Amino acid sequence: MKLQEAVAPGIRMAKYSAQIAGKSKKAAAGFTRPLLLTPSEDMLGFLSGHLGRAALFLITATSVVAVFLIFYFVIRESAPFFFNKSFPAAMARIKEFFTDSGWYPAATEPRYGGLALIVGSLYVTLGSLILAVPLGLFAAIFLSDIAPFNLRQICKPVIEILAAIPSVAYGFFAVMVFAPWLQKSLGFSTGTNALNASVILAIMALPTIISVSEDAMSAIGRETREASYALGATRAETMVKVVIPAAHSGILAAVILGMMRAMGETMVVWMASGNAGRIPSPWWDLSQSIRTMTATIAGDMGETPKNSEHYYALFTVGLTLLLFTFSLNLVSEYLLGKVMKTSRGGK
Amino acid sequence: MRTQIRQSLDKMFTAFAGSVVLLIAGVLLVVLVPMFRKGLSAVFFTETVEFRKLQMDLHDRGDERTLKQELERVAAARKPIYDILLAFSRGLDMEPRVKEVKNIYQQYGEYLNYRNTPKEQYTECRKQAKEIRDTILDALESMDKQVVLANLDKALAQKGNPTFKDTPVQHFFTVAEQYRKTAQTVDLTKRSEYLAGLRDVTAAIRQLFGPLPGEDEPPLPMDQYGATRMDMARKALHTLLWDEQWIADGPGKPLVKKIIARKTQFTGTELEPLFDRVEKNFNALLLPRHRFYWQYFIDDWVNSHYFGGIGPEILGTLLLTVLSMLFAVPFGVVSAAYLVEYASDNIWIKIIRICINTLAGVPSIVYGLFGLAFFVITISAIGKPCILAASLTLSILVLPVIIRASEEAIRAVPQTYREASLALGAGKFRTLVKVILPAAGPGILTGIILSLSRAAGETAPILFTGVVAMGPIPNFGTPAEWVRNPASIFGGLFQPTRALSYGSYDIAVGDRISMLVPHQQFGMVMTLILLILVLNVTAIVIRSRLSKKLRGH
Repeated sequence: MKLQEAVAPGIRMAKYSAQIAGKSKKAAAGFTRPLLLTPSEDMLGFLSGHLGRAALFLITATSVVAVFLIFYFVIRESAPFFFNKSFPAAMARIKEFFTDSGWYPAATEPRYGGLALIVGSLYVTLGSLILAVPLGLFAAIFLSDIAPFNLRQICKPVIEILAAIPSVAYGFFAVMVFAPWLQKSLGFSTGTNALNASVILAIMALPTIISVSEDAMSAIGRETREASYALGATRAETMVKVVIPAAHSGILAAVILGMMRAMGETMVVWMASGNAGRIPSPWWDLSQSIRTMTATIAGDMGETPKNSEHYYALFTVGLTLLLFTFSLNLVSEYLLGKVMKTSRGGK
Repeated sequence: MRTQIRQSLDKMFTAFAGSVVLLIAGVLLVVLVPMFRKGLSAVFFTETVEFRKLQMDLHDRGDERTLKQELERVAAARKPIYDILLAFSRGLDMEPRVKEVKNIYQQYGEYLNYRNTPKEQYTECRKQAKEIRDTILDALESMDKQVVLANLDKALAQKGNPTFKDTPVQHFFTVAEQYRKTAQTVDLTKRSEYLAGLRDVTAAIRQLFGPLPGEDEPPLPMDQYGATRMDMARKALHTLLWDEQWIADGPGKPLVKKIIARKTQFTGTELEPLFDRVEKNFNALLLPRHRFYWQYFIDDWVNSHYFGGIGPEILGTLLLTVLSMLFAVPFGVVSAAYLVEYASDNIWIKIIRICINTLAGVPSIVYGLFGLAFFVITISAIGKPCILAASLTLSILVLPVIIRASEEAIRAVPQTYREASLALGAGKFRTLVKVILPAAGPGILTGIILSLSRAAGETAPILFTGVVAMGPIPNFGTPAEWVRNPASIFGGLFQPTRALSYGSYDIAVGDRISMLVPHQQFGMVMTLILLILVLNVTAIVIRSRLSKKLRGH
């Protein structure tokens, strides 16, 4: 390797004089080749350094390419759903997709109303957040401020394992264990319903919420807490009145990340939500079956011929999902950026 | 006073937070324990002789001679049961009897023809035989015990008739005698009820011991063998001994489940001793033995997971994950190294970071859609759902995970390492390759293991890109073929595969036959969870060692 970057001029001078000394006497240190690079070698080193850097940059940019490709292909496959005829027809299609709640792609007069699916996704997402956010917040408080170091070392792997269990295993649990239990002990007509999916999604969103909000709370420095304690506040008061307000952006980011996890989850809702494509009425009745966007894609795509209307419609559902999560992601990015600034000491 | 309230509030707060963590740990246990308890029974269970027979038939496992002896012993023990069943069904099921009787009459005619009986005698004999036949048929048809017995007695009175000595007509009398016995014990008015019960009993016996002797071999393997496991055998025994009925308590009332002993349904009949006999000799009939069926992890299924193991699923999952790692790890580690060591804080790097986070946030099903649209449809070299497309999709999914983990690991290498290396005259690249990456190695390895577990568990991205619930094992050719055509080694990559994750879905929701065998369902999920737990625990152990080492510095 002839890479010789970042060599300070002073060092270069020293090498040069050593080389001159080496010419008159054999080098004491046993250098066999001149230490000073010739101009061509220097140039080569410079070039290879920069070329290598460019190559590394290109490899790093694959993530950008991947994001671009994902957006490109999902949009390309969903575009014919809207833009197959005239502009007013396209607008009517878009209106139908977002306001009609009838998803009947197999009917003789197919209807592609995505409202019930979007509502279904929001339904289980909010249901899971109602359960997961308070629990996750308390667990994060426990881990960041209450638990002694050793206990934390035990708790963290537990939460990691909770996060690592694959979604299909949770779905399996929901169908085979939780649904019969719901049916038997709570007397629901079906065990696979919105409640089941929400509870399981809450379990899945918990690890994300806990770890991100714990990071946010730890990022609020010791001084803030000590100031609060010095004023005579108890730990509970310090947490509720000082640390949580100070860490609010990080906690919000945690909630959003948990929401993304719940919304993008496929297997659990596919297996546990019952897949009935309608909006529950009355709206608070969690014991009814619902259908989400992810489950619709997973369930329908297998039987859909390529380049059919139904196929494009499913990609449109995917695009909606992608846009939802992408915008949520940008918000969480912004919020986490704020947390980074606080932890670095800026305001 | 106020201070006290505040302090007790504080204590409550602490206790509540602690209990939430306990609750979460409890949830983990509630999820994992039933999976493992039921799943392990796919591997550790009590086998029966039927299982040994199955293993010998399909895989040539076990000792042939002992198995033969065992089968003989079991057959001897089962014989009385089959005899009881046969005798009782003979007594009840009239159709074969009626056929038999008509058959005998025909035989008798042939017999007379064969003997060249003179015409007059012939008509006379035929007439007498016809009379006997009709009385027996009347008896068989009748439901009234008195009529039956009177008719049978009338027929049997002809037994001493010298005309019929040593002729097929004698068979009439055996039939009549047999039926007389049944008619005396069985309540003939309940005949149809008995018949329905008998059907259930025969089905249960078939479930326990396989097809009855003399029956044709059923086409499905699940019907060819009896209960292979003791837990399934007990279930079948339960259906044999107890009858579940939904009975309305009164008019307009909801149906109530009632469990009735079959023994009481068949009191006083020939079938009654069968139940006690099966229950008492249960072990002798099945010869149970404990078994560690480790071949579960390598065997292929038989009859859609009714028998066999999940070998191809494990193989498929390993193939998919390892391949996706092959694609993702080089890109991920290089990206992380660049982001930590070279990147300055400019707009491009910001875009790259946003894109990495976006990738991490894309729902897994959208990866599936993308994989379908890009790898499967657009890239014509792939052209159909296959392992290659699925693992490429997975590799994009795990890319952000690897980048983040490696970035963290590289960042954790102390700055002094870099300075020391630079001071020795090494360039930046050499420092990275020879100093930083080896120092960050365990951390990067942790990230790789974690993303391996992530890839193994994902289902949605591979749904449309290369996974099937039931299909052949991907064929990678044989060494001889590789010599002839080196490209054939990659042929397997262009075939779809089974995988643990999708299999777990299908076995729970999609597959009807699997519903009969819960141990198979839970066994599949348990294997998946086990794989992921092992990977995660390895990662946790490596990391805790690493953090100890870094703290030591």
